[in-house]
Amino acid sequence: MLIHFKNLNWGFLKAYAFTQIKLRYRHTTLGIMWNVLEPVLYLGTLSLVFSAINRMSLSDYVVYLFSALVPWRYFEATILGVMESIIAGEWLLKKLAISYFIFPLTRWLIAAIDFFCAFAVVLVILAFVKPTWTIHIFILPISIFITSAAALGIGMLLAVAYTFFRDIKPLATTGLMLTFFSAPILFKADSMPMGSLQSELLVYHPVTYFAALFQKPLYYNCLPSLLDWQVTAGIASVFLGLGIWALHHFTPRFYFYL
Amino acid sequence: MQEIIKIENVSVRFDHHATQHRSLRTTLSNLAKNRRAEYFEALKDVSFTIDKGETIGLIGRNGAGKSTLLRVIAGVIKPQLGNVIVNPSSRLVPLLELGIGFQAELTGRENCFLAGALMGLSKKQIQAKLDGIIKFAEIGDFMDEAVKTYSSGMYARLAFSLATEIEPDILLLDEILGVGDMFFIRKCTARMQKMIRSGITTIMVSHNLDFLVTQCSRLIWLEHGQIRLQGEPKMVADAYRKLGDQK
Repeated sequence: MLIHFKNLNWGFLKAYAFTQIKLRYRHTTLGIMWNVLEPVLYLGTLSLVFSAINRMSLSDYVVYLFSALVPWRYFEATILGVMESIIAGEWLLKKLAISYFIFPLTRWLIAAIDFFCAFAVVLVILAFVKPTWTIHIFILPISIFITSAAALGIGMLLAVAYTFFRDIKPLATTGLMLTFFSAPILFKADSMPMGSLQSELLVYHPVTYFAALFQKPLYYNCLPSLLDWQVTAGIASVFLGLGIWALHHFTPRFYFYL
Repeated sequence: MQEIIKIENVSVRFDHHATQHRSLRTTLSNLAKNRRAEYFEALKDVSFTIDKGETIGLIGRNGAGKSTLLRVIAGVIKPQLGNVIVNPSSRLVPLLELGIGFQAELTGRENCFLAGALMGLSKKQIQAKLDGIIKFAEIGDFMDEAVKTYSSGMYARLAFSLATEIEPDILLLDEILGVGDMFFIRKCTARMQKMIRSGITTIMVSHNLDFLVTQCSRLIWLEHGQIRLQGEPKMVADAYRKLGDQK
């Protein structure tokens, strides 16, 4: 299985990813600047609307919201991008013998570039609104690594399923939407009444733990708990392993379904 | 002569269901009704070898398995049975379905850089070859237009120019010359003859028998996914024509 990664054409992967980003903003006036402006507009709108709904001060809510929403957008974009990558790579996969891993990895790289642009913007905004900064933020690279591994794994599993069954895409999109609105990203977990069904269910919500990897160092100024690390690293390992296995195992059959 | 490609008992079959139905509903319905898969055998137990420097022509009627065989050699299709061994140190460039792997939204120039990266060339190496590619393809200012705006002839000219300029060891051509005009075919023929003299191995699919007889060192006639005849081009072409006359 590792031979797939050893034989990857990294030069092509990089060239393809940058070409796709360039293509996305072709014929736009602001070009690549949209990569920074788009998250600012999106996050700004959500902050204004949901700070009022959550009855929190705008500056406090912005720190809370941005800390988990930006990683969530990255998580979601990676899953959806990777899921579509094999089908979208038909233009090449039917003409050249190329590792099928190239396309999921390219989509992940594009999502990662978008994420780092958005995250850089967020850090600049937080520099103005966040009252205190602690050393805990230095744990964030590990949080990003675990989130990336989980999203890539889930995305690869869905990419295999989507290649065989085209119904997967709307199901995955709906599933991600449900996951987002039920997770403590737009609202705080402690805003739920103690002992209520909603607050009990959040304990079993996997995104609660992924969100904690970012919310705790950025908003609560503390380290994620051992349970947060165990749950997220466990999910990431299982899905990444399954995703790589599935892509490797089903590759010989893909040609006939593209 | 040094063997460069070895095809051993290769069989490929297509699942009709796979190519026609991709919804969960039809799959579940087929499972529930215990409906068996229907297969079309595109290649059946095909074996042959190709030596370095040979020019092979694949002939046969539509659906005989010519394009499938090219795809198997290119490594795009993994055969269900048998082995395909291609000399690992050889650079294989396939020109299947007209393109080398062009993305429609990208310009001709961008596609050249992307295809170059795909073939393991650096940006600098492609840049050095770009003038030659543009000159041979004769597409001028269109080089900076999206390839989706190209005519099939322009598309084929750029693909052929790029594929031959990056100096392959093995070149696979699937009806690439069928879309070009008389002048382009003449130009391609001249370049191919030059490449053949330099020792490149070429495998091409074409319905133009006269072209194949003059350019190839061997013809392989495929029928219903099997080799019906192979050998000296004129002998194979005459036998194939004779069958056509009878039908």
